[in-house]
Amino acid sequence: MAEKRAGAAGAPEATPLRVGATIELLEISRAWLVDPVAGREGPGEIVVRDGILEAVTWLEGADAEGIEPEGIVVTPGFLDLHVHLREPGNEDAETVASGLAAAAHGGFTSVCAMANTTPAADEPGVFALVRGAAAASGSPVELLLHGAVTVGRGGERLAALGELADAGAVGFSDDGSPVKSAVILRNALLYAGMLAVPLFEHAEDPTLTAGAEANEGYVATVLGLKGWPVAGEVSPAERAIAVLAAVLPDAPGTRLHLTHLSTGGALDAVRRAKAAGLPVTCDVTPHHLGFTDEWLAGSRRWAWEAVGDDGGARDPWADGALTAHPYATSCKVNPPLRAAEDAAAVLAALVDGTADAVATDHAPHTQVDKEAEFGLAANGISGVETALGVLLAAVGARRLTLGRAIEALTTGPARVLGGRAGRVRARGLTEGDPADLVVLDAGVGWTVTAATLASRGTNSPLLGRELPGRVLLTVADGRLAYRDAQA
Amino acid sequence: MDARQIMTADEMRRAIVRVSHEIVERQAGTEGLVLIGIQRRGVPLATRIAAAIGEHEGVGLPVGALDITFYRDDLSLVAQQPIVKGTAIPVDLNDRTVVLVDDVLYTGRTIRAAMDALVDFGRPRAIRLAVLVDRGHRELPIRADHVGKNVPTSRDELVKVHFVETDGEDAVWIERREGAA
Amino acid sequence: MSGPGATAPAAPVGPSGPDAEAAWTQKHLLDVDVLSAAEIGLVMKTTDAMKEILARPITKVPALRGRNVTIIFYEASTRTRVSFEVAAKNLSADVVNIAASASSVSKGESLVDTIRTIEALGAHMIVMRHGTSGAPYLAAEVFSGSVLNGGDGWHAHPSQALLDLYTMRAHLGDLRGRKVVILGDVLHSRVARSNVWTLTAMGADLWICGPTPILRGFDAWAARWANGRGPNGHGGFTVTSDVDAALDGADVVMALRLQRERMDAGLLPSLREYAARFGLTRERLAAAKPDALVMHPGPMNEGVEIAADVAVLDRSVITEQVANGVAVRMALLYLLSGVHGGWHPEGGIGG
Repeated sequence: MAEKRAGAAGAPEATPLRVGATIELLEISRAWLVDPVAGREGPGEIVVRDGILEAVTWLEGADAEGIEPEGIVVTPGFLDLHVHLREPGNEDAETVASGLAAAAHGGFTSVCAMANTTPAADEPGVFALVRGAAAASGSPVELLLHGAVTVGRGGERLAALGELADAGAVGFSDDGSPVKSAVILRNALLYAGMLAVPLFEHAEDPTLTAGAEANEGYVATVLGLKGWPVAGEVSPAERAIAVLAAVLPDAPGTRLHLTHLSTGGALDAVRRAKAAGLPVTCDVTPHHLGFTDEWLAGSRRWAWEAVGDDGGARDPWADGALTAHPYATSCKVNPPLRAAEDAAAVLAALVDGTADAVATDHAPHTQVDKEAEFGLAANGISGVETALGVLLAAVGARRLTLGRAIEALTTGPARVLGGRAGRVRARGLTEGDPADLVVLDAGVGWTVTAATLASRGTNSPLLGRELPGRVLLTVADGRLAYRDAQA
Repeated sequence: MDARQIMTADEMRRAIVRVSHEIVERQAGTEGLVLIGIQRRGVPLATRIAAAIGEHEGVGLPVGALDITFYRDDLSLVAQQPIVKGTAIPVDLNDRTVVLVDDVLYTGRTIRAAMDALVDFGRPRAIRLAVLVDRGHRELPIRADHVGKNVPTSRDELVKVHFVETDGEDAVWIERREGAA
Repeated sequence: MSGPGATAPAAPVGPSGPDAEAAWTQKHLLDVDVLSAAEIGLVMKTTDAMKEILARPITKVPALRGRNVTIIFYEASTRTRVSFEVAAKNLSADVVNIAASASSVSKGESLVDTIRTIEALGAHMIVMRHGTSGAPYLAAEVFSGSVLNGGDGWHAHPSQALLDLYTMRAHLGDLRGRKVVILGDVLHSRVARSNVWTLTAMGADLWICGPTPILRGFDAWAARWANGRGPNGHGGFTVTSDVDAALDGADVVMALRLQRERMDAGLLPSLREYAARFGLTRERLAAAKPDALVMHPGPMNEGVEIAADVAVLDRSVITEQVANGVAVRMALLYLLSGVHGGWHPEGGIGG
């Protein structure tokens, strides 16, 4: 172990301690580099000077000896398609400043903030507010913004989509809710297609999910929780794809992105749509690929550990799997944690590329909103800081390759946003670009606690757990975004 | 574990017979008597005393069983609730002379609990106490009316009374308490 | 050593079943899923002792003297709330009985704040009923004493399942292989769910019966536990909408209440149709054994899930259930009051 670590001799010389300051000099030697743009990973060295990634050197032969992906790893900074920053309107749960700090801790150098603030981001004034807060925070993490699809996210009238696009919206979404009706969805897709901005749809049929508390299935039955049927996601996903297909002839630039898909059924629909050449993309969250509805019963084993030899979900009450109290509201999320079979489908979709990206759906909440009876607690998991750890756990369990995991956090989401040339960085380790990277030690872990989380939202079922992979340094746009206290 | 036998089966039998005579003598007969054994080992002892009385007086006395678990004064101190063994009082206790029977008299707290329990069943005319072994170290002002054997003991010793009905033999043992508290 | 009349006193007879050498280590009783068969046996045995106390002229013992038991019910229920109060008082506990609609809860005080207030006011033990599944678990996390679940949402009703079990065993003894049928709205029933756990732990041949929409989820549950795959020795059970097959040869028939709200939610056509196809009438009951027990957790909708003339049959033990309820609740309060210290996730039966 000492040998591997010694490889990370890149003691950052004269690295400033202040977040936001330009990196004057950073040398990392003998690390495992991952460059999804070049499609390459392996032993290498990097040099950052005055904020620019000056040199990327791939090592061969004897020089490469002893450098493993289980040691120091350098990747491009991550891009999160889906976070909730809560400002304006719910600053007790998170502010732009705390959210960006949390993102940097998680290795993210760009985040896309959803529009369900109060007021909703349905016109450029709200964008200005949020951007002002970002500037005031001094964080170099890039803040990209989604605009709402409808005014107030009410589903009745289209929001000022053109103005929002002009103001830099990277996507339109009423997330938190689905777009209320098929006809509004169709009109929004047409208009957004004209603007070449993707529409991010939260696929949910509210009539099927009214009052629902947990994934409809064995665990919900035994726990006496109102079921959230799989059809509640599959059916609206299929509908949205059908609407997309229908508008395409009129608006060839239209793109539909289905966010936080959690069911095999919806992912199958995306798979078929892609095979048919439709411009649809989707993302999945770390919690839907890593956790299952068993967690509501008190289990904490990873989704891939909760599947029996026959591919069916194991019984949490039978296997002595229960290590936490049941009904933990930190497990309550929309869409809900699904059964192990669906979680496996999510992971499979990530592996085969049906899922273009991993997005965290970072949803911080105050303790007050979460410390309630299960059925009354707010939905959401604070996940931007733990995403990498969950993916590395899957990598460690050989369910996912490191390369694919990093792609899903970098080039994958960049491609989803695509189109808006110059707005979205390519996400590679390219000499001459402003340095945008993450340095992490895949060989050590960190314990998730309220103290170690930078987010104001500590609503994570991973509290108390040790996750693999510790982010040592996050550099965004050539400036320091995060530095581990021990780096 | 250091165990010493202090009564043999024969010694127990003689003591029981003597106590049974004393009880009748004290009552000047058997009228109004009822024997109540304190769970667990007071019960077989009460049964044997009643049998002995039956032999020499020709009268069958009613015998009851009393579980004092709910009346213990140390319930909040024990690690978990003691298991209840069951109470059966066969006759109305009002105006009767109750002879409480227990195997060993020690601090007196069990007897205090038993008396508390008894008064919930009615108002006996008198309550007396018969024990097989009195080992001293009273913590409450309680005394036995009839004693099989007085055995001086130290606090880190345990007195164990065995009956065939409950333990497969008739004997009384003294043991050194393991890891004397 | 014989002589006239020298008989051993009659030991209290009751359905004490399997050798209850188990010790009680549960700090809370939130569900019956964590109870082993031995622990269930211990509850039965302790209930025997409580029944004996209830037969005395003075039905009171000082076991919980000086302890404060606070009962807080967020759902209206006279029967169970009073049953707990009587049970606690019989153990000499000090009882505070809160009907939540009357207190600040309806003004929006959160559950956690309410529990903290109750603790500050001196409660050692809380008995709680709540309309949301899982609420007592939240209470147990913030309360330093013991929590006894008096019913949470659709999830669990431990004291009811245990008193049902006690009643069955009082009449039938060992329940292994005995056919027990639960008939009615199981989907929304915490009584049904808890009875599934207790009856399968005791080896009964359990049948769950009702119209298909309100059996939803139970089929999958039964399939999971079939062929010995139930957790820690829990047997499997049968789920069917065929009433006649279910009642055929039954030893026990438990009818569950069907509420009007189910019709309003579009789940079933009408109460009349339910009564016609699934109601427990004398004709249907004839398929069961001649001395089969008829049970109901109450309150009953006579004429819907159970015919009025069935409810009053000799073999209807519905009022016995109520009496046993006090004894079982005394037993539970007694056992719980002895456990101090931390709360650990039980990890399933036998953990």
